[in-house]
Amino acid sequence: MTNAAELWDKRRSDYWTMAVRYLRLIGNSGFLFTIYLLFVFGSYYYGQFLQWLPETFPAVIFFTLIFTWLTTRGRVRTFFKQGDLIFLTPLEGNLSGYIRSSIRYSWIMETFWLTLSMLVLAPLFFDRVSEAGASFILILLLLSGLKLWNLAAGFEEQRVLDRKQYTNHTFLRAGLNAVAVYALFSQQPWWLFAFIAGALIIFYIGYYRAIARTYSLKWERLVEIENQTVMTFYRVANSFTDVPSLKSKIRFRRWLNPLYNLVSFEQKNVYKYMFARSFFRANDYFGIFLRLTIIGGLFISIVELDWGRWLVAALFAYMTALQIETLKNHYDTSQMVDLYPLQTENKQAGHKFWIVFLGIIQSLIFGITASLTYGAGQGLIILALSLAVYSYHLMVRLPKKYETLSRS
Amino acid sequence: MSELLDVRQISGGYQKNKPVLHNVSFSVHPNEMVGLIGLNGAGKSTTIKHILGLMEPHEGEVRILGKTMAENKTDYRQNLAYIPETPLLYEEMTLWEHLELTAMAYGLEKEVFEERANRLLKEFRMTKMAKWFPSHFSKGMRQKVMIMSAFLIRPSIYIADEPFVGLDPIGIKSFLDRMLELREEGCGILMSTHILATAEKYCDRFLFLHQGKIILQGTMDELQEQAQMPGADLDDIYVEMTKEDRHD
Repeated sequence: MTNAAELWDKRRSDYWTMAVRYLRLIGNSGFLFTIYLLFVFGSYYYGQFLQWLPETFPAVIFFTLIFTWLTTRGRVRTFFKQGDLIFLTPLEGNLSGYIRSSIRYSWIMETFWLTLSMLVLAPLFFDRVSEAGASFILILLLLSGLKLWNLAAGFEEQRVLDRKQYTNHTFLRAGLNAVAVYALFSQQPWWLFAFIAGALIIFYIGYYRAIARTYSLKWERLVEIENQTVMTFYRVANSFTDVPSLKSKIRFRRWLNPLYNLVSFEQKNVYKYMFARSFFRANDYFGIFLRLTIIGGLFISIVELDWGRWLVAALFAYMTALQIETLKNHYDTSQMVDLYPLQTENKQAGHKFWIVFLGIIQSLIFGITASLTYGAGQGLIILALSLAVYSYHLMVRLPKKYETLSRS
Repeated sequence: MSELLDVRQISGGYQKNKPVLHNVSFSVHPNEMVGLIGLNGAGKSTTIKHILGLMEPHEGEVRILGKTMAENKTDYRQNLAYIPETPLLYEEMTLWEHLELTAMAYGLEKEVFEERANRLLKEFRMTKMAKWFPSHFSKGMRQKVMIMSAFLIRPSIYIADEPFVGLDPIGIKSFLDRMLELREEGCGILMSTHILATAEKYCDRFLFLHQGKIILQGTMDELQEQAQMPGADLDDIYVEMTKEDRHD
């Protein structure tokens, strides 16, 4: 393709088609409801937190730290792929439009994150920094401008091959950002902003443009940055659903090896054997199980309302069950499994075995946590509730899932 | 029963209206190693997929020990071992676990499994790596895992797709020696490969697959006779048979 602008549009829309598909899965996974719940709880405790926060809390320094980090981090997404190292490098001279589009795109995305962070911190801002809505918006706009400068400068910076110099440049930007962000949140007079902005622009033209003229693009680094961005997205999506591209990440967790002895050496146990290893080592199924159990247990011990605690227990048990459910797809793309002389019933039995096992473990943990904090009666109720959720999952939901599976 | 593997007039491919294979027939007998030879895209892997039962033929049928897969899926698969072109490993399992899992899946006794597995590990010089995960393996080591898994289950017929790729010379020798042993014991072997010199040395018969059709098959003598090239080696015959095609 000779038209770089067209190529850029295609790359972006390809990425978003993929991303939207995952975002939809995340939306359907029941996790949004948890976020909503957190939001409701969160906004209640936020007010209390602000009242508790001592007057001496250095709010301006706090904002400076957060936003220095936010403006310095993040690089321009180029959507470059491995193959571009060969096919696009000859066009390097004609890519300025492509790169401008990339910077603009990254700027919009980063401004979104800045705005989100500002909104989350807004109550603190109005309470401790300034009560004026106008200064909130002005600061946000200027932060977004600063971000644009960082992206543009950061992009030229990647041309410096030497790792150490590359890192030094990032620190340099962090220093400049810190000064600018501090000036913003400590609400200095406008002429100081104008001065800083002017200085930054001159510095960009005088220094970074010169780098751009001297050094070529470092393609491998750009591809690496792109891959990291995509991987971060995959990793987030992976906590909600199964991302095939992440399959390769394995944690050995040798301390869990004794658990595998639960499965004896018999032909009917083949899937039990496989699912044990995929659950505890692959895709971080186990990590998610652990996190949901710990967070669930934490909520159970701090929520004082009886029905709120029951709801939390049921909700976390259900979310965990949904996560373990995805385990059944783990070997769908493996050709070797298809060749084994086995019946599909073995697979379902193997999958169910681990849901039952993990369900009992989690229900016990929830039950014990509740009985330690609210007495044995509560513990029993929570235990029964969690077990009921798993039973529902096993007897009602799973058979339907298996059916759709065998039909396809 | 004279044939271990009997492929009867299969036509097949990924799409019904675009068959990749056209009326392919051949068989593999006990005590026989058959070389499946063809250019990239000739249909070797598709043929193998049909034999493995991963694809259904549009026409014709594949029988293993006289039975089709539709008649008894588990029996059909029980008698078959496959060594794929690219090693297909479970990243979350150690080498030993791969062997153990394979043994379980094919219903081996535990003692038999342990005895065979230890011998194979020694033969392929992998004993030290038994507890390793595939992420620490080179391409050749991965291939060895596939080969050991196939040898572990001792089926009647072996299907090997480019088994030498990535193997070191000692690995290739162990592999071929073992194959010859199995042939002596009465197994049948179908091996697809591009390394014609090795194929010529080890295989009893050859199938030339070209654009989805078998254009020639037989022993070395039969091939020379059919191609009217007495004394020619496999390379020459193969180049000659696919020649006209490259000129148009």
